[in-house]
Amino acid sequence: MGNITLGRYIPMDSPIHRMDPRAKIIAMLFVLIAIFFRAGWIGYGVIFVAVSIVIILAKLKPSFIWRAMKPMLFMLTFLLIINALVIKTGNVLFTIGSFSLYSDAVLSTLYIAVRLLLMIMITTCLTATTKPLDMTLGIEDLLKPFTKIKVPAHEIAMLISIALRFIPDLIEETQRIMKAQESRGVDLKEGKLKEKIMAILSLIVPLFVSAFQRAEDLANAMEARGYAPGEKRTRYRILKMHGRDYLLMFGALCILIGMIGIAKFL
Amino acid sequence: MQISFQHVSYIYNEGTPYEYQALNDVNLDIQEGKITAIIGQTGSGKSTLVQHLNALLLPKTGEIHILDRVIKASENPKQLKALRGDVGLVFQFPEYQLFEETVLKDVAFGPKNFNVSEKDAIKRAKEALQMVGIKEDSYEKSPLELSGGQKRRVAIAGILAMDPKVLVLDEPTAGLDPVGTKEMMQLFKKLNSDYNKTILIVTHDMEQVFKYCDNVVVMQDGSVKVHTSVDEFFRDAESCEELNILPPAVIRMKKMLNENGFHIEGEIKDITALAKAIAKEVKHG
Ligand SMILES: Nc1ncnc2c1ncn2[C@@H]1O[C@H](COP(=O)(O)OP(=O)(O)OP(=O)(O)O)[C@@H](O)[C@H]1O
Ligand SMILES: [Mg+2]
Repeated sequence: MGNITLGRYIPMDSPIHRMDPRAKIIAMLFVLIAIFFRAGWIGYGVIFVAVSIVIILAKLKPSFIWRAMKPMLFMLTFLLIINALVIKTGNVLFTIGSFSLYSDAVLSTLYIAVRLLLMIMITTCLTATTKPLDMTLGIEDLLKPFTKIKVPAHEIAMLISIALRFIPDLIEETQRIMKAQESRGVDLKEGKLKEKIMAILSLIVPLFVSAFQRAEDLANAMEARGYAPGEKRTRYRILKMHGRDYLLMFGALCILIGMIGIAKFL
Repeated sequence: MQISFQHVSYIYNEGTPYEYQALNDVNLDIQEGKITAIIGQTGSGKSTLVQHLNALLLPKTGEIHILDRVIKASENPKQLKALRGDVGLVFQFPEYQLFEETVLKDVAFGPKNFNVSEKDAIKRAKEALQMVGIKEDSYEKSPLELSGGQKRRVAIAGILAMDPKVLVLDEPTAGLDPVGTKEMMQLFKKLNSDYNKTILIVTHDMEQVFKYCDNVVVMQDGSVKVHTSVDEFFRDAESCEELNILPPAVIRMKKMLNENGFHIEGEIKDITALAKAIAKEVKHG
């Protein structure tokens, strides 16, 4: 709980940080889609190397990615157990009593684990290197063509950026409330079921109350400064694509096409 | 017995780009049975310091001795629940921790967690609510219906109901009205003198420190800058001003008088004492 890093912006000066958010978003989408083609280990290897290069360029520490991955470990363990019980193909790795573990169960879990890891790496590349404000601008610009078919581009962008903006706040708030309740003798780790439910309630109720309070405060503050979603707004920052931005998108597109190729023809 | 910090350091978000050393080799002995004020500029580490007292934060290095227990980096938090009952910590803005359906239930929540029976917990809750000045007709209200100041009182009552030996209050009166502030401070003073509770108060209000506290700890950039008795601390205005602290009005008055030909010496605790001292000087010419 202490150090949730998923979705957090890391202020740093790197070529990736300076890139156009639109280019980063498009590149991320390409590579994310690429992951969903069954391109096998070679394909994932290629993506891994490419994403690692971006991570190194962005000066992100591997430990940062690892911490973002940690909360997923529980899910993966759970998945491994289910796979172990259900999948009965491949070689038998070992047998305990009437239960045997098959190689395919492990392989298939590993496969998902690798995809998950890649997904987290890719999204972290975007969120850790893009200021929430730039992200909004980027999303809004990308959605602009869709305003013709009545997609509220600006509102969606604002929504996403506010959500992103509130993640660290809510985490902080959760920790604070946890501490306050722990001071009152709440034990979030041990205890009987009834105590556990009470402990979780003592956390969730204040969290909801404060989240609503924050939302209301923010809404009032925005309104007080004359914000009206439908109005035409001017911009202080104009996004501009450079050569390196096109290069990034081109690279991501190549990966996507490559993966489709591998999945189709190999 | 004393509460003592020995070479305590604490780092937030260690190993991330947000790393921040909030406490830096803190050594501090706090007298039991006294009221100790902890002061210092925002961000000087006061809240971080007090959260070590009931092991909400574990030190990165060093150890804390409190009520025959030792808190250190390797301590297993499992044995610490009893400590949480003995050291009651009221957070800065504690009103956010209220969650039960009624005020009474919320206050009884703490003692119940420490295996006090339902009946006794309610009894204690009523006593605590009375102490903080919440009227009986509010007991069955939802805590969310109360005003900010009332919420604060209920939250404080929630800790008082646990009947801790050491009471730690992080800016308990911030945002209360003057009358409420005075009532609260008098309550803490009473808990100290009548029930012999050790009390630590984090505050920005020098008048409170001067009037109600015995000792004072000044924090600066995560270290203890000064630790002395309140009388000593406010003896002369200069030492306060060196630390960028505005002394209480009475002390400033005394200083101004002395700068303009008066010779007022010794302890001046309040405005009456000052008036008497002035009268004496005037009489003697
Ligand atoms: N959860 C946290 N994560 C990271 N840094 C923190 C956290 N809590 C506090 N800090 C940092 O540690 C330093 C000390 O904070 P602390 O809350 O102890 O200050 P304080 O003296 O209580 O200030 P105030 O008078 O404003 O309450 C601050 O610079 C703050 O930014
Ligand atoms: Mg504080």
